[in-house]
Amino acid sequence: MNTLAVVITTPPHSPLTATAINYVESALVAGINVIGVFFYQGGAMHANSNISIASDEYQAIEHWQQLAQQYQLPLHICITAAEKRGIACDAIDGEKLNGAFTVSGLGELVELSTKASRLVQF
Amino acid sequence: MTSLNITIEGLAIINSKAPFGSTDGKDALDIALIFGSFEQKVSLFFQGDGVYQLMAKQDGSLISIKDYLKTFSAFEFYDIEDIYVCQQSLFERNLNEKFHIDDVQVLTPREFGEAIKQHQHVLRF
Amino acid sequence: MSTLHLVRQSAFTTNDFAQCINILGQRDTIVLMDDGCYNLKHTLLDTLLNTVTTSQLNVITSHARARAIDIQANVNNIEMSALVALTFTHQQVVTWQ
Repeated sequence: MNTLAVVITTPPHSPLTATAINYVESALVAGINVIGVFFYQGGAMHANSNISIASDEYQAIEHWQQLAQQYQLPLHICITAAEKRGIACDAIDGEKLNGAFTVSGLGELVELSTKASRLVQF
Repeated sequence: MTSLNITIEGLAIINSKAPFGSTDGKDALDIALIFGSFEQKVSLFFQGDGVYQLMAKQDGSLISIKDYLKTFSAFEFYDIEDIYVCQQSLFERNLNEKFHIDDVQVLTPREFGEAIKQHQHVLRF
Repeated sequence: MSTLHLVRQSAFTTNDFAQCINILGQRDTIVLMDDGCYNLKHTLLDTLLNTVTTSQLNVITSHARARAIDIQANVNNIEMSALVALTFTHQQVVTWQ
C-alpha cells in the first residue's frame, strides 16, 4: 500500500499553498493513503482561527478543513511553531486554534516518516 | 564512496541557508535532534549557503541570536554521525575546511547526491 | 535509485535550481512547478540536459500556462495526478523551494 505523509512549511497566505493542497487532494482522489499532514515553520499559521482572507481570494485553510472532513485526513500542527506565531494551544486559550488541527510535537513527524512510504515537503 | 550493501533508511536533511538570516537552520536542527532522540537514522547535508552553518569562530550573540550552532557539538550524543558538506559550495564561497565540529565529510557534488539517495526521506531547509 | 526533484523557485531569483542540478543523478526526474516553470527559459536548462534527457523533464502544465510560459515541445506536460504517480515510482522526493 502506498502511504504518503506531507510536510507543509508554506504559510496560508502564500499563493504556493494552493499547489500543496492540489497535490494532497490529487493523492487522496487517486486512493493514496495519506497518513497525515504536518505543518511546520510558517505552515503552522494554517491553524490560526483568526486568519481572515478576503472572500474572493483562495481559501487555503477552508480547503484543508474540507480535505480533513471528507477524507479523515489528520492535520498535525507543530506546537512550538504554532506558539511562536501566537497560536495558543492549551485548553484555556485554545480559541485561537482551528479545531480541524491536532496539536502535535516533532515526535509526530518522526512517527509519520517511519510509517509513510513517501514524505513530500511543500 | 561505495553505496553497495547500504540499506535505504532514515531521513536526510539538506541545509541550504546561512545560519543567522532565517530560522531554517535552527528549525532543521530541532528535527534532527528529535529523530536522533527517537533513535531514527538522520544525516545532515550542508549545501549552498548552508555550509556557513559549519564554519568555525561564529558568534550569534553579537547580533542577539541564540547560538544554536553550539548544539552541533552534541550530535554524537544523539547518534547523529553522518554530516556531509558540499565541496563545491565551499569552493564557490572561498571557504576552507575549518569547521566547528569534527568528523564532517567533504563530498563532491556527485558523492553528495549519492549520499542523499541512501535515505528514505529528504527534507530541505 | 532514482529521485524525484520538485523545483518550485525561479533560478533567476535563487540558487535552488543550480544546487539541484549539481547533485542530480542520471536516472532522476525533474518536475518544474510554481515559479520553477520560469526555469524553462533559463540557461541552466542546458546544464540540466547534460545530465538527464528531456524525457526526464516535466512541467506542470497549468503552472506554466498561468505564467504565459511557452513549453518546449520535447518537455513532458503533466498535471497533479501524474505528479502523485511519479511520487511513488521514485525512491525519494526532494523539494527545492
